Amino acid sequence: MSSDDVGVSTRDSRGPEACSLRDLAVGCAGCVIAVTGDRELRRRLLEMGLCNGARVECVRRAPFGDPIEYRVRGYNLSLRGEQALCVSIDPQGTNQSA
Amino acid sequence: MPTLAAPSSTLVVALAGNPNSGKSTLFNALTGLRQKVANYPGVTVEKKTGRCQIDTDRFAEIIDLPGTYSLISRSPDELIAMEVLRGLRPDTPAPDVVVAVVDASNLQRNLYLVSQLIELGRPMVIALTMLDLAEPRGQWISPEELSKKLGVAVIPVSAHLKRGLDDLKRAIQMAKPAPMPDWPIPNAMHDELVTVGGGLAILEEGNRDGYGFSPTHANRLDRYKALAERLLIGDRAADIGPLSRQEPVASLLAHAASRLQQLGIDPMQADVEAHYKWIESLFGGTGLQTAQPPGLQTHASGGRLNYQPKATTFSDSLDHVFLHKFWGLGVFAAVMGAIFISIFFLADPLMGATESVIGWLGAQIGRLLPAEGPLHDLWTDGIVAGVGGVVVFVPQIAMLFLFLSILEDSGYLARAAFLMDKILAKVGLNGKAFIPLLSGFACAIPGIMATRVMENRRERLATIFVLPFMSCSARLPVYALLIGTFFATFSAAARGGILFSMYALGILAAAATALVFKRSNKGTPRTPFIMEMPAYRLPRVGNVLRQVWLNTKQFLVKAGTTIFCLSIILWAMAYYPRLGEERLEKVASQSRATIDFYKFQGLARPADLAGTGLEPPGAMKHNGETIRQWEDQVRQEEAAEAVASAQLRHSIAGRLGHFIEPAIQPLGYDWKMGIGLIGSFAAREVFVSTMAITYGAGSEDDTTDLSTSMTEDRYPDGSKVWTPLVAVSLLVWFSIAMQCMSTIAVVRRETGGWKWPIIQLVYMNGLAYVVCLAIFQFGRMI
Repeated sequence: MSSDDVGVSTRDSRGPEACSLRDLAVGCAGCVIAVTGDRELRRRLLEMGLCNGARVECVRRAPFGDPIEYRVRGYNLSLRGEQALCVSIDPQGTNQSA
Repeated sequence: MPTLAAPSSTLVVALAGNPNSGKSTLFNALTGLRQKVANYPGVTVEKKTGRCQIDTDRFAEIIDLPGTYSLISRSPDELIAMEVLRGLRPDTPAPDVVVAVVDASNLQRNLYLVSQLIELGRPMVIALTMLDLAEPRGQWISPEELSKKLGVAVIPVSAHLKRGLDDLKRAIQMAKPAPMPDWPIPNAMHDELVTVGGGLAILEEGNRDGYGFSPTHANRLDRYKALAERLLIGDRAADIGPLSRQEPVASLLAHAASRLQQLGIDPMQADVEAHYKWIESLFGGTGLQTAQPPGLQTHASGGRLNYQPKATTFSDSLDHVFLHKFWGLGVFAAVMGAIFISIFFLADPLMGATESVIGWLGAQIGRLLPAEGPLHDLWTDGIVAGVGGVVVFVPQIAMLFLFLSILEDSGYLARAAFLMDKILAKVGLNGKAFIPLLSGFACAIPGIMATRVMENRRERLATIFVLPFMSCSARLPVYALLIGTFFATFSAAARGGILFSMYALGILAAAATALVFKRSNKGTPRTPFIMEMPAYRLPRVGNVLRQVWLNTKQFLVKAGTTIFCLSIILWAMAYYPRLGEERLEKVASQSRATIDFYKFQGLARPADLAGTGLEPPGAMKHNGETIRQWEDQVRQEEAAEAVASAQLRHSIAGRLGHFIEPAIQPLGYDWKMGIGLIGSFAAREVFVSTMAITYGAGSEDDTTDLSTSMTEDRYPDGSKVWTPLVAVSLLVWFSIAMQCMSTIAVVRRETGGWKWPIIQLVYMNGLAYVVCLAIFQFGRMI
């Protein structure tokens, strides 16, 4: 992967399969495409590892629907729905191994 | 290998790492009890330092930096960490060595911070923790391999078992900076950095001092490029901020930014992604993958590593229950219930015991003082009572922090926040506010201190602000007195209902106030909720106890002094000015006359006999001696009460009560209640005893006398002073108003100034005034 892909923020993130992290159902996974939102929020989400096409899996939702727990880069991260909305992903289906 | 500095000098070592990475445990293991906790001047971030012996005649000063995920975000914790690491703080020496604590079970994200630390160019050592957790999670790594790839020593440590500490100490002494990797940034950005770097070079030619970057950057161009990158991504820290504004750098930066923007490149994003790309490349090679246990499925396509744990870990299984829609909430309710009940009920006997001990001690020392007079009273009622008033909180605080530390250490706290976040977010708070708010029902003080678990400053402030609305246990005696006296005719259920409404009112007021806080911050973006869910682990006893000790000590020292001073002042207000001897005699004889009157009538009020062990005249055997004993005893008691009452009315507090009467009359209160309100400033439950003294109505333990006095009290025009409406008005006052000076002292301590406690005081009492006014006036019309 060439380093020219890095940092480009105007990639088409609204392709036919793109959706946001919030749309991910429990048990499903996807790869991060882009992160939107205000600068500080974006930086936080990127720094927590939601970048470079990382694989994110939706683990569970809280009993009242919010926040949502995800698994990314080997650890568990919980986000409120409105933050999850800022992360667009390419859904993969459940537990792919290839 | 040469050591870093002269062997006898003290090394300054900074511990950096993610939250939950085991950093604090390592710090404790290295420094033992030789720790100091203070505040960084100007902010409410804790500064933890300690001393450690790293060699036979060599010591290290260890700075435990706040746990951070990054060095460049805006929270106070991250700013402090960054400033200390760069040596920008005058109060803290620049570290000679940085020990990066890396959680092996969470490698990629932990290495992000490491990548930023590498950029600082300081001698570095990596302490690898939680290796025992790494394997089940499918993230095994060999420390040797990591060390080779990073170019610095990687020491596995098990802080709670004290393994690896000696290796770590040796490595610290031989630390060198990590070689700077070639961060895979976009070529276009790379070109811009070279350009800006050139401008910086020109600037430095004219500046002898350089920019404070470590001189170990072998290549000067590297140094300028690194600096240029800091500036381009928006880092404006104190040491480099001015550079960004000077020419030619300023215009070079502006041009670079706009050119990159046209290409669709965001430098900040590119920077983060480049760091993670580098991290991913560490895993792309053979070394790390072959070290994995069988059964792990990974893909390493194009340098990406996607973790899929081979089996659910113990943590995952626990979470399956603890975060379950139904069972999870059940467990949560059980845990919270247990905590609450313990603090509410267990604390009481402990507090009583503490008070007895203090009282006993005070009496022993009091014997050395003159038996009567101001010095004796100052000692007994002023100082001893004041100290007692502070120390009495220790059992509750210790207990709450015991629970809190266990919850935090075990990892359950994050789960509790996860479950409660939705509800609390509705009023602009945060899931982590739940336990502090719950503790507020026992006592606001430990609750306010418990808000330390909330990292977000704004939400923490909002939580502290509304916490006193949670009806604390001190209000209970007041509620009991008022409801018991004026709603005695109501059924038990109805009375319980009124009690419950007072609690509900508090919660309502808290929610409304929190919403006001939320709305007033509308301009600024809503603070996000981004929280890591750490793996469950057994809380470490040493850690927990240390937390309890440190927090209790902080309370005693900081808040304790304020509370103590305020209680002396309040005591003086109720003590001075003194009535003259003549006046006291007059009051006493008047009181005796009243007793004789009752005796003549053959009547005796039941309260007169309480504690005397004697029976009323009518039922007594006609033994002259016994009757006289009884008379004398009752006379003495009554006279003492009358004297105390007169004294109180004559004092500053009493006069203040009269003084504020016009202001509180529209709420239905008279000057006696005014005195009570002033007295309750020391502590809400003092209201009951102050009322008892004012009415000259017997000891605090038995309020039947007080109740009677209250119901019989009349204004000069014959109308009753106390009506059920007045009682309701007073109940609501106690529910809403902020009266506890100890709370104010703690709020001042936790918010770092008088601004917020004063705002809180004015707001809550103002609100109480308006609401009680409305209730009383409206009630009168019906």
